[in-house]
Amino acid sequence: MNCQDCSEKLDRYVDRELNNTEVLELKLHLEGCPGCEGQYEFQAHLKRLVRHACDCDTAPPAFREKLRQMLS
Amino acid sequence: MAESPARTAFADEALTHLDTLYRGALRLTRDPDQAQDLVQEAYLRALRYQHSYQAGTNMKAWLFAIMRNLFWDRFKGSHKDDVSLDDVNEFVLYDKLRDDGAKPEADVLDKLAASEVVKAVEQLPPLHREVVLLVDVEGFSYKDAAQTLGVPIGTVMSRLHRARQQLQKSLYDYALESGIVRHGSMKHSGSPRNHGEASDFVGPEQVPQQ
Repeated sequence: MNCQDCSEKLDRYVDRELNNTEVLELKLHLEGCPGCEGQYEFQAHLKRLVRHACDCDTAPPAFREKLRQMLS
Repeated sequence: MAESPARTAFADEALTHLDTLYRGALRLTRDPDQAQDLVQEAYLRALRYQHSYQAGTNMKAWLFAIMRNLFWDRFKGSHKDDVSLDDVNEFVLYDKLRDDGAKPEADVLDKLAASEVVKAVEQLPPLHREVVLLVDVEGFSYKDAAQTLGVPIGTVMSRLHRARQQLQKSLYDYALESGIVRHGSMKHSGSPRNHGEASDFVGPEQVPQQ
């Protein structure tokens, strides 16, 4: 695997969408390529950042109760 | 209204996904009141059509699909393709920060305010925003996201890729404006993507649909 192959698969690696063989190939490349390893760490960090920024909103308790009564 | 055990069990299970639906509606409408209206309507519709839900399948995805379809019906009419990110050039924030001499690059991410990240997500066109919400925020697989949105997996991948490019561009612009990074203070010899060669990167737009 070269850097371009790695780059093309990085989204799917970060999203855990590669098959086992692809994961092994990519991991092997990352171990020997600090540039791609840095890119991977950065992408994974960005994904976590987006999740943490957006998943803190929860439904207001009064709204939850209203729905519970409406649906029961 | 008379309660039946089946209806109660369905409602109880459906309500375990309320936060996911509410977050999704909030990000799509960008308005808490509209989000509540949308979610309420989605739950009523789900209850009405509960016979079409197959027990044991992904209820969260099923409910989200109902909610986002209502969103498109109510807020966007039939103009689902009104905004495109197809013309967004390849933008890799990691490379950009290396160009700007920001090291370690991940430290820049830690300096971004969560509110700015949310803002950047909410500025994405809805078709791209909903993919980020499903995959990045709620952890859906590409397959579940594709089923929820009623599109092929390849479309999920290409929208996600474009959305992330746009997201990185927005966050970079914010980082520049707020002084978190300074533009072009140090150049390096080439990105890890192309090692100094002309980039002929093939994005997921070209990945065959599964």
